[in-house]
Amino acid sequence: MAAVIALTSLGSGVTSNITEVFSGLGTNLLTISSGSAGGPPGLVRGGVRQTITTEDAEAIKELGDPRIAGVAPTLQTNAQVKAGALNANATVVGTWSDYASVRNSAVEFGTFFSDADTRSRKRVAVIGFDIAAELYPDQEASGQRITIQGVSFTVVGVLPDKGAGFGSSNTNVFVPLSTYLQRINRQTSVGAPTVQAIYVQGASAEDLDGLVTDLTLMMANRHGTPEPEEYDFRIQNQADTLDSLNSVTRTLTLFLGAIAGISLLVGGIGIMNIMLVSVTERTREIGIRKALGARPRDILTQFLLEAVVLSAGGGVVGIGIGIGLAIFATLFLDITPGIAVGSILVAFGFAAAVGIFFGFYPAQRAARLDPVSSLRYE
Amino acid sequence: MTPIPPPVLRLEEVHKSYPLEQEEFWALKGVSFDLHEGEMVSLMGPSGSGKTTLMNIIGLLDRPTEGRYQLRGQDVSRLSESARAAVRNRMVGFVFQAFHLLPRLSVLENVEVPLTYAGVPGRERRSRAAERLEKVGLGDKLGHRPTQLSGGQQQRVAVARALALNPALLLADEPTGNLDTRTGAEILDLFEELNNEGVTVMIVTHESAVSERTRRIIRLRDGVLDSHAREVA
Ligand SMILES: Nc1ncnc2c1ncn2[C@@H]1O[C@H](COP(=O)(O)OP(=O)(O)OP(=O)(O)O)[C@@H](O)[C@H]1O
Ligand SMILES: [Mg+2]
Repeated sequence: MAAVIALTSLGSGVTSNITEVFSGLGTNLLTISSGSAGGPPGLVRGGVRQTITTEDAEAIKELGDPRIAGVAPTLQTNAQVKAGALNANATVVGTWSDYASVRNSAVEFGTFFSDADTRSRKRVAVIGFDIAAELYPDQEASGQRITIQGVSFTVVGVLPDKGAGFGSSNTNVFVPLSTYLQRINRQTSVGAPTVQAIYVQGASAEDLDGLVTDLTLMMANRHGTPEPEEYDFRIQNQADTLDSLNSVTRTLTLFLGAIAGISLLVGGIGIMNIMLVSVTERTREIGIRKALGARPRDILTQFLLEAVVLSAGGGVVGIGIGIGLAIFATLFLDITPGIAVGSILVAFGFAAAVGIFFGFYPAQRAARLDPVSSLRYE
Repeated sequence: MTPIPPPVLRLEEVHKSYPLEQEEFWALKGVSFDLHEGEMVSLMGPSGSGKTTLMNIIGLLDRPTEGRYQLRGQDVSRLSESARAAVRNRMVGFVFQAFHLLPRLSVLENVEVPLTYAGVPGRERRSRAAERLEKVGLGDKLGHRPTQLSGGQQQRVAVARALALNPALLLADEPTGNLDTRTGAEILDLFEELNNEGVTVMIVTHESAVSERTRRIIRLRDGVLDSHAREVA
């Protein structure tokens, strides 16, 4: 029982964690990045030549496709940011104003920078929650000045607390991409500056697959790579990623469920054993009860009830241990297990059902005992 | 002329066989007799003559292999297990040589058991059980465990339990076999008293001291009634 509670909680906890993280990253999100179509996902950065450019992003934007809600190319680097005597380590991201909506990063205080800011290469910045807390512990951050790699910026907005962990913007500093390219990370190569990724937000989930197809064709055209094997970019649909991750956790939950099922079976057989021994030990009692007028049905009910009390008692102990384990997991594994009241009730119901199921055979044996030989039993 | 009331029980050519390895063993080979309302009889006979077997059939714990058995005019030899349990519950009270109390229950709870199976509700069950225990002289021992009582007291509890539902028949298989002479005699006093109040009693016994106190003696030998020994009228 403990196992059932702990494991299913953990499973549903992992699933809801993943779903939560992903919805925090933005909805209907497509990611265009450098890399070949056949390459393993996730190993794109670092080892792969950057082939996506700001011009690609501009071309997508200029399509004016109604299925596209926003476009935001990004470039990022780790840098120290300073404000007066205080400093903080930040991931500085150069991007477009659409980033706020595309990546679900609306500001809490102030405003996000605008397209006009990008066009005029303004030195403005939107800072993450932790950066604001470190640099301006006692005062409002917006309107203040910060220094990034010796260049002074004006803080125009502060993002809300996104928590720690994957996808959080708490230690980010966002600046217009044009300003970033001019002031922070000047690229030496000829041609249009490259970016790490272009985020495209679809207007609706239904259009995403068609949009992926069209964008793939367009990018292939622009890069002069007509054959899929030659593609030097990849387009990822976040919904697909979420699906495959969810299928992994589904398998995980199923696996945990199987373990739980086996432990139920073992527990059930244990109960059956205890009840069989009990029936044998109390053969004489059964004979006496029959002599006093107990019908087979009365004896059956008596022993079934005992089996249920036994297994439900085990269930209560198990639920206690399960909740304990789930709390333990919260403290040490950084997973928030979903201790659902539902799963506790289900566990309790299961325990009782196991009692009835595995208690039935022993109870029936008791009910069918012959009164005369039971009375003689020593 | 007043009509003769039907007997409490009527056995007609009752046979009982037990299967052995090769053939079957006939423990009863055609037993017939009537028992009338208010009678008190002893069932005697050498060891292995079939007394307990006969008792079990009369008490509906066992079925006759052949023959008919009527209890208060109703043929009970072909009833289902469940129906037999109900008849046993209402019509028959058992007293065993080894007392057969339930050790984990209190004295009061032991007497309540047959009432529970009869569906008597809790409050009435307790008061009736207490009343029966009062009658056998154990009104002050209701909360005791059976193991805290003497043999004679335990057998009184068993008698109270057997009487809980006012049975048609009180069956006692060597009820004094585990008791000393004096306590045994006290239990017999109790049976006599109950019989004087109208309870029909049948006692299996080896001891002539017991059978001398009953008006009628039925003798068994090798599974048949002993025709040479005369029933005492
Ligand atoms: N379950 C059984 N299987 C086979 N034979 C049995 C069974 N029960 C009783 N018998 C046999 O039936 C015969 C009568 O047994 P029963 O117990 O009725 O004798 P009894 O008159 O009560 O003897 P006792 O005075 O020793 O109690 C005996 O020979 C016994 O061995
Ligand atoms: Mg006997």
